[in-house]
Formats: sequence, C-alpha cells, structure tokens
Amino acid sequence: MLLKKMFRTLLRYKAQFISMVIMIALGVGVFLGFNMEWYSLEKNIGFIFDQTGFADYRIYSEKGFSQEDLQAVLAIDGVRDATRFLTVNAAVKDDTDVIALAVSENMKVSGVYLMEGEPYDPDSRDGLWLSDQYARQNGVRLGDKMTLTYKTLTVTGTVKGLVKAGEFLICVPDETQVMPDYHSYGFAYLSPAMLENIIPAIFRNFVGNSLYYQINVRTDADKASFVQAVDRALGKTLLVLSKEETLSYAEAMGEVEEGKTMGSVLPVLFLAIAILTMVTTMHRITASEKTQIGTLKALGFRDRRILRHYTAYALIIGLIGTALGVGLGYLLGWYIMNPDGAMGTYLDMPTWNLYVPAFGWAVLALINAFLVLIGFLSTRNMLSGTAADALRPYSPRRMRHLALEETRAFKALNFGTKWNLRDCFRHKARSLMTLFGIVGCMVLLVGGLGMMDTMNAFVKAFYDDAIHYENRVNLDAESIRKEEAQALEDACRGDWSATASVQLGDKAVGLEVYHVENDKVRFLDEDMRFVSLADEGAYICGRIARSQGLQPGDMLSFSPYGSDDTYTVRVAGVLRSMTESIVMSDRAADAIGYPYSVSAVYTDETNLPENRNILNVQTKKAIIDSFDSFMALMNVMILLLVLAAVVLGIVVLYNLGVMSYTERYREMATLKVVGFKDRKIGTLLISQNLWLTVLGILVGLPAGVGVLQYLLTALAAEYELKLVIGPATYLISILLSFGVSLAVGLMVARKNRHIDMVAALKTAE
Amino acid sequence: MAIVEFKDVSRVYHNGEHEQRALDHVNLTLEEGKFIVVLGPSGAGKSTLLNLLGGLDSPTSGTIRVAGRDISTLTPNELADYRAATVGFVFQSYNLIPTLTVIENVALVKEIAPNPLSSHDMLKAVGLFDHIHHFPSELSGGEQQRVSIARALAKNPHILLCDEPTGALDSETGVMVLKLLLSMARDLGKTIIIVTHNQSIARMADTVVHVRSGRVVSCEDQAHPLTVEEVEW
Repeated sequence: MLLKKMFRTLLRYKAQFISMVIMIALGVGVFLGFNMEWYSLEKNIGFIFDQTGFADYRIYSEKGFSQEDLQAVLAIDGVRDATRFLTVNAAVKDDTDVIALAVSENMKVSGVYLMEGEPYDPDSRDGLWLSDQYARQNGVRLGDKMTLTYKTLTVTGTVKGLVKAGEFLICVPDETQVMPDYHSYGFAYLSPAMLENIIPAIFRNFVGNSLYYQINVRTDADKASFVQAVDRALGKTLLVLSKEETLSYAEAMGEVEEGKTMGSVLPVLFLAIAILTMVTTMHRITASEKTQIGTLKALGFRDRRILRHYTAYALIIGLIGTALGVGLGYLLGWYIMNPDGAMGTYLDMPTWNLYVPAFGWAVLALINAFLVLIGFLSTRNMLSGTAADALRPYSPRRMRHLALEETRAFKALNFGTKWNLRDCFRHKARSLMTLFGIVGCMVLLVGGLGMMDTMNAFVKAFYDDAIHYENRVNLDAESIRKEEAQALEDACRGDWSATASVQLGDKAVGLEVYHVENDKVRFLDEDMRFVSLADEGAYICGRIARSQGLQPGDMLSFSPYGSDDTYTVRVAGVLRSMTESIVMSDRAADAIGYPYSVSAVYTDETNLPENRNILNVQTKKAIIDSFDSFMALMNVMILLLVLAAVVLGIVVLYNLGVMSYTERYREMATLKVVGFKDRKIGTLLISQNLWLTVLGILVGLPAGVGVLQYLLTALAAEYELKLVIGPATYLISILLSFGVSLAVGLMVARKNRHIDMVAALKTAE
Repeated sequence: MAIVEFKDVSRVYHNGEHEQRALDHVNLTLEEGKFIVVLGPSGAGKSTLLNLLGGLDSPTSGTIRVAGRDISTLTPNELADYRAATVGFVFQSYNLIPTLTVIENVALVKEIAPNPLSSHDMLKAVGLFDHIHHFPSELSGGEQQRVSIARALAKNPHILLCDEPTGALDSETGVMVLKLLLSMARDLGKTIIIVTHNQSIARMADTVVHVRSGRVVSCEDQAHPLTVEEVEW
C-alpha cells in the first residue's frame, strides 16, 4: 500500500520530482562527461603509446649511431628496449605534400599499429606502411605505388599497410602548425632493408658512419641518471630528450591536463548547484508531507518504516537522475571525444573508447548516499516528538523584526517590496539557493564565454597580428649558408629566422634567432603589446620565466644540443609565446658568438625564386586554419557548458519558483480575496526573482572572472593566455541570466490565475 | 433598501461524473445596514453563498446583484475590482500575511481600494493600536481576528462578509469580536453578513437566513435582536 502511495506522491509532486531528476542528471552528466573526456584520452593515448612502444627517451647524434652504440645503450641498467631510428621529411613526387619517412630497426620501440593491410615486414624491400589518415584524405589505397623525394634521393614503394604510430600521434611538421592537416602532411614507415637498398653506400659514407641519427629507448629511469648513463656508455655528451619534450607526448598530455583542469572547476560547480537545489527541494517536499507523515505515525506505523518510505523517494530520484546523468555523460564524452570530431583530427589514435574514472563512480555513489541522508534527516525532523506533534502542519520559522526595518528607507518602501524582502529573509534557504543558482549560471556563462574571448584575442594577437607575413618559407638549415639566406630574404623583401633546440637547465627549449628588417614577424610582450627585439640580450617566454625563476636583467645560460659549449646572455624581456622558447635578434646572437643556421624566411611574396634550399612553403592561412580547427575543440566544450548552464538555470529557478509559489499560495489567495489582480500578484512574484537575479549577477560577474582567471593560471603551463572578456560576453551573460529569470518568473506567475481562493483559505495555517 | 439580491442562483460543482449542487435555485434579498446571520449545518451551502457574494466564485446560473450591480457575469479582473471596492472578508483562520506587520497588513488595502480609510483609525477602532508593529505570529487568535476585521474595514466596503469569524476563538474573545462587528453595523451603518452554525449568534441578528441542502429555507427579520451581553454563550 505504501508503495502505491509513493507512486501517487511522486505523481503529485511531479514538477518538483522531474526538475530534481533533471538537475541531478545534468549535474552528473556534465561532471561525468567532462571528466570522462580527459580520462578516456589518457587511457586511449596510453593504449597507442603502449602498443607502438612509444620511446621514453631519444638520444641524438648528428653523426649517427652504430650497432655498437645501440648495444651499449641496451646494456644500460634499466633499459627495457631500444632501437636505432630515423625520420626525415620527404616530398611526394609531383605534389606539394610532405611525408615524414620513418625507419625503426626494432619495431617494438617507436613502431606502428596496423589498421589495415599486411603486418609490418622488416625484410620488405619495397613496402611502405602509410598513415591511414593521410591515405584516406588523399585517396591512397593498399597496393598503390608512391614516389617520394628527399634531397637528391628518390624512393618508390608500395603501400602495404595503413597504420597509426605513437611517434606521430599529433602529426604536424613543426610546432607552428598546431593542428594536423592529413591532406598535405602524413607519415610512412619503411623497413631498414629498404633503406639500405635505396641509399647508395657511397652516399652513406659521405653522410657519415650511420644514417640513424637517433636511438629511441624504453626505460623507467629518470632523465638525469639516464643522461649520465648514456654519457658513460657512449663516451660522449649527447642530446637526450625525454618523452615529455616531444611534441606528441607534451601536446597530448597537455590536452589531458587541460581536460582535468576544466573538469575540476566548472562541472564541479555544476554538480554543487544541482545537489544543493536538490537538498532544498527534498526538504520542502518532506515538509509539505508532514501531515501525512504524522497520520502514518498516528495510525501506528513505526518511525523506522516511515523513514524507510520517505527516504526511498530520495533514493529513487537519485538513482533515476544518476542513470540519466551517466547516459548524458557518455553522450557528452562521446561528443567531445570521437574520431569524427575535432579531437579525431588532432589525435591520431586507433581506439576511442570512453572510460569513467574510478573517482567518478565514487562521486556518484557519494551523491546518492548524500541525497538519501538528506531524505532521512528531513523525515526524521518531521517525525520528531509525539504523533500529535507530527500531525501538525509544518510551519516556517516565526517572523522576527530585522534590524533593517528600523531604517527610514525601509519604512518608505511599498508593501510589495516589504513583503518580498521579508519573504526572502523568512525563507533564507530558498532565497540563497535561487541566488546560488543565478550566480552559478553567471559564473558558467562568464567563464565559458570569457574563455572564448580570451582564446580569440590570443589567436588574433598571435596569428592575425603577430604573423605579418603571407608565407613562411622553410629552408634546409643543414645545407643553406647565411649569405644564401640573406640573398633570399633580400629578394623577397622578408625577414628570416633560425630555430634550434637548446638545453636550459635540465630542459630542452627552442631558441629562435630573428633578423627582422621588414616587419614581417612581430613579438608580443606580457601586456600583449608589440616590442622590437633589442640588439643585446635574449627574450624568454612566460613559462621559462616562471619555471626558471628568471626576470629581465637576470643572466641565463644555455647549451646547443650535442655541444659542450655554453652561452650566457642577459634576459632582455619576457614575451608571450606559443612555444616554450628563447628569442634573440641576430645581432644579439652574433654578440655572444652563438652559431645558427637560417631555417625559415617570412615574406609576402608568392613568386619565390628557384632555390634548392627551399623545403616547402606554409601559408599564413594554412597556419591560421590549423589553429581554427584546434579552437573548434575548445569551442565545442564551451558551447556545451553554456547550453547546460542555461538549462540548469531554468530548471533550478523554475523549481525554486514553484516552491516559492506553493509556500506563498495562501498569502497570494489572501491578496486575491482582498482585491489584488492577477497581474499585480504576478508582478510581486516576479520582482522577487528579479531582485535575486540582479544580486546574483552582481556576485556572479566577478566570480565568473575569478574562476576564469583561476582556469587560465591552471592552464598557464600550456598556454600563455591573458584574460580578455569582451563587452558582448558581459552583455550576453547578463541578458541570458535575466532572460532565464524573467521567463521562469513569468511561467510561475501565470499559475496565480488558477489560485483557488476558497480552498486555499479554508485550510488550516 | 436592498443591497443584495439573489435571483434563482445555482452553483453546481462537477467532480468527475458526480454532480454536487451546492446552491439550488436560491432567491434572497438582504437590506443595507443590517446585521445578518446565515445559519445552517455543515454542507448546507452557506459558505458557497458567501463566496458567491464575495466574488470569490461565480454562479452556474441565476443573477446576483450587489449594491445595484450584477456581479454574476463579471470577468476575473472586474471581480477583483469588486472585491477591492465593495466587500470586506473576515475568515475563520484570519488569513493575515505573516511577513507583514499589523499596520502593514491593514495598510495593504490602500494599494487597491478606491476609498480606503485610515489604517491607524481602523486599528484604533479594533483596539490594537498598541500592537501595530507586531507580526501576526506575535498576536493571540482574537487579536489576529481583529486585525483581519480592521483590514476588511479599511477598504471602506459596503458589506462585511464573515465566515465563522469566531470559530477559532475561545468564547470570551469571540464575544469581543462579535461586539466589534455589531458596532460596525450599528455605528458605521455597514452591512454585516455572518455565516455560522452557532445558533447563539443568530439571536443578535436583524435578519436570520436559514440554509439547508443548498436552499434558503427561511429569511426572517427579528424585531428585537439581543445585545451581545444579553446572549447566553
């Protein structure tokens, strides 16, 4: 019988129950979805790294490594496996596409994951194992022949397998290109046997003792001890890069960290709003059931049975809400992270499985336990005392005079304002929840839209404004001489740069030397203003400044990779930069005697002179397009968040509005009997909502800015973002919050037309 | 002069397939400035009669004229105006706004009544001038009922409608409230209509209306109504 009663009660309070279920589902869904995103990324990235033997360290030598060198590395304590490795950028014949050609002697390290075709064959003399994404974008099929050129060499092979590779998880030619473009850039593996076959011995001798300029190693050793061990094993100091210093690993893990940061702030806020509103609603429903609770008690039901009955409501709502929330979480997780979305273009992974982190399930269990506890405590509260006590209807706390009432301003207020003010104070929990709902909605809106503004300003400054050239001409830094580069720069009225990796402390960072005379490249200081590079000293990015504790005026020392030379230079300033790098003018580099070779020329010219040193040309548009698709990733997450914020705002406010309406039903009936018109009563109801909205906006705006600043600080290791919030964001956030509040207020106010004056006023207070 | 005229008024409630005839072809005329008591057992239809008269409800058929105006066909907004200007209500359960003080509860009607009276004067009249800044929850039942009478009177209505006004009060407080209502009729010339099942109250009335099973059984004027003190409570 009690079960029947339970279902009928659920039906009676259907508006509240449905809104509680929606709130829990939304809170759980957003929380789970955003946390599933980074966790699933971590797991799927881990899978491909594991399957393809992603190397923990890369040892570089310009002269290449012999088999003896490899054996020496393999003999190092703690080294699980190692391979000689080679990768060069080759051009696709009769096309502008570029393919990174890779060879790994031992495919257990830095190998491939077969998607289609024949398994990798180390003895194949004509096989190519091509990136499946490149193949799909360019219509290449298994069995097709491909001809690639590298300098004077030509390689022709047959596509035997379509693969993915951990080493090319983010398949971009360099760090300026943030998003892969498989249409023009891919990778392919070939066998060591084929490499031997295509490179004439004479050329090999000319180049050096080995073609493999890299040894990739799998080990759990820390970098400092591994570098020492390598130095001892090979008898010389070499450049060693850890996986954290590779683009694929750093960017992919950066994406995970970004997801973690996003997942730990806004969705948690979301969940908190949902739970708090749920608590208030549950308490109110139990309060309005007090007479029934008393009746059951008076009839002889034991407290325990009644407690079990009413606690079951909370459990049912919690379970339904959680179940729907888990579904929504999977949907959100899939929407953000699926192979056909923006993430699928960014990360080239074979699996896109969704995983819920263990703490996610724990949080769900805790939420449900908490809801049950709230149901239990509310019911116990109503059951306290004798059966006669329990039979008395629940009455809110007695009115007390507020200190505010003694003020002249309060006395001058009209009755409606006084009524609403006192009602807010009398039902503090409800008012605070409404306020909290609006503040939360505002924080999500300002935070989400502000993040978009910040990113857009960042993109505009870095790409639209700082990139003042149309084309970046990449040069073969190994062969070009400085005079040739200067001649090319003069010919196309551009600027040039030289990029290399250097060791700064225990870190590998980029060192960029610029020669700027035609204003094609610009640099932004921390306040996003353009600065010219001084003739002396080096500029560092914010990340280096923070991690090394450096500021302008300090001295910094760096060593080029694979060299024992150390250069010391004064820090001239701090720049905002996309990459973790040191920037100097060519004059400043010359002043300290730092050797460099030009690797790119920046120009507006499209008709470039014939030059054997030109590797390829990147257009500004291609670079911006690449970042735009990267931005699409973040925009999807932000839009989902904003949408969910609005829905949550509506549900929270509607639920509290209905609660307020129910609690003031009798008062409104009295006003109606006295002669107040529906419109006037509706205005009274809405005005309370609107005050709370104004207050919520006043608190929510700075809170939103604060949350955004916190997010940017947390993301500082990945992006050097300066907080920017446009007037449109403020306006949209305020209008949306107001709009939601007003729309919900009107929806609730419409109900007062149906107040049954007679029935309302007959009931006992 | 007749202030209230019911002509063939019926009020039928439909509850699923069940039809409940709360008032059945009622005809009734009441005079202005009288102290009128409507008597009848529970479920007789007396509250329905009062609700129709107060503009809280509309008849299913028939016409109701109050102060010369047909109120049976008014729109909800017109009914609100009617309630604001013509009638004052006093309920058994007071129905004060708990978040407004005594004076604010009374002054509330100034927002809507066309010719309101001074709230202070009304509270003086009901003997509660010392309590004007209290909240309803700080008053006794009798005091709350007197505030509700003051509020009803502050609208300066033609008719004061009272639904079991002493039902929730002890007899001593009830007598005080009735004395107050009677003085409103005698001293201010207001028409007071009290709905009750308390036979004793009827002995004070100028007119007694008996209602049973949705019909008006009788409507009699009393030539010599008793004073409150003369009635045995």
